[in-house]
Amino acid sequence: MTLQPGTSETDEIRQIEAAAAPTRFARGWHCLGLTRDFGDGEPHSVSAFGQKLVVFRSGDGKINVLDGYCRHMGGDLSQGQVKGDEIACPFHDWRWGGDGRCKKVPYAKRTPRLARTATWTTLEQDGMLFVWNDPERNPPPPEVAIPRIEGATSDEWTDWHWYTTVVNTNCREIIDNVVDMAHFFYIHGSLPTHFKNIFEGHVATQYMNGGSRGDIPNPEGQPRLLGTTSVASYFGPSFMIDDLTYHFENDDQNTILINCHYPIDSNSFVLQYGIIVKKSQTLPGDAALQAAIALGDWVKVGFEQDVEIWKNKARIDNPLLCEEDGPVYQLRRWYEQFYVDAADVEPDMVDRFEYELDTTSPHEEWMKVVEENISAQAARSGTA
Amino acid sequence: MAVRPDNRLADSPMVPVDCRRCGASVLARKSTWNQTSVQWNANASARCLERRDAEHLTEHAERGLFLACSALTDSIVDAVRTGDLPVVDESSRVST
Repeated sequence: MTLQPGTSETDEIRQIEAAAAPTRFARGWHCLGLTRDFGDGEPHSVSAFGQKLVVFRSGDGKINVLDGYCRHMGGDLSQGQVKGDEIACPFHDWRWGGDGRCKKVPYAKRTPRLARTATWTTLEQDGMLFVWNDPERNPPPPEVAIPRIEGATSDEWTDWHWYTTVVNTNCREIIDNVVDMAHFFYIHGSLPTHFKNIFEGHVATQYMNGGSRGDIPNPEGQPRLLGTTSVASYFGPSFMIDDLTYHFENDDQNTILINCHYPIDSNSFVLQYGIIVKKSQTLPGDAALQAAIALGDWVKVGFEQDVEIWKNKARIDNPLLCEEDGPVYQLRRWYEQFYVDAADVEPDMVDRFEYELDTTSPHEEWMKVVEENISAQAARSGTA
Repeated sequence: MAVRPDNRLADSPMVPVDCRRCGASVLARKSTWNQTSVQWNANASARCLERRDAEHLTEHAERGLFLACSALTDSIVDAVRTGDLPVVDESSRVST
């Protein structure tokens, strides 16, 4: 028996290393979903940041987020009722205001007015409800505000077409996608032709242009897709705005894709994504809505493919990268800023970092794969 | 939860490059002629003139983004030409 070169006993086996997922939750704005799903005047239960929250629109029109359990005897406020500006506990009718203060105990002479429960600062913007999470309990600094999305409030665009799903893994997995150029080919049926990342401050951006894959089907009912142009930025730890243009053979379709999540606990998160499509001459009202649904469903398939990988993969802190991979380590260094106290954010977590990938070599390989797939499909249909 | 070093930097680390226009000093690395990474620091960001112009132009745009500094890009190309900045050899092994 001859030993192959490089397999000698002295070559160390590379081990996958991974610390446990952090028990702390990221500092930043998190989108809980669409305001239309929370604003009906009923209390809603949300599991987030390792806790149970109650979300309700009070009589004054404001949406409030409080810890879900009544400080009196622990009743579940999300099972209670909104009474005026307060949430009433189903257990003993104790009333809690949006500021977290106990406002009234109907059967008591005196209300413990100094008692406070935990509250989250909320923001209603562009049809979405956001909460500010900060383990240090500081208010949100203005410079990390979520940018406005022009199309979201315009009649020239469709309404949000929105998806929500629970993913049972730590949310770092979805963050890694920002830099993972090659998985867009293998998992999502894309064909990246240009790929660049920029991280700076609390924003991490991915620029990606994609060609069309002749070997996989188009979005349902849509014209032939020639390619895509995408500028996608995380503003903080969990909310990504993707300016995504689909180049179809007859026209361009401008869309905004939101990709956001909030942690349920260390090992699960709620993934949400939503799309709006710009109406145009070739895409008036109903057709734009149909396109939003078709493209949203297309994105849904993509995320389901991610989830299938995440369900089965190992957490890995020491990924073994080749030159054609993106800046995974630098992205994680950026992401770390949200998991340390504000005073402990190091310059290298927020300093500008640029990484432009050379897609030439991957593209050559992938065109071969696409051609092989097309030939195989032709052979199969020929013999069918 | 310290983030580990990038395994690719072990054999070919990032090297300092100064911008010919403003003197900003950054760290750069080239995998190929078309693949470049650039690490800025606060001092370099403050010095960069093109960045200042871009910020001025986009100060009312909430999602304004500064893509790259062309003078710095030229300076990086020059650093490759003069041999100060190596291009990672295709045949070299990625360090494990």
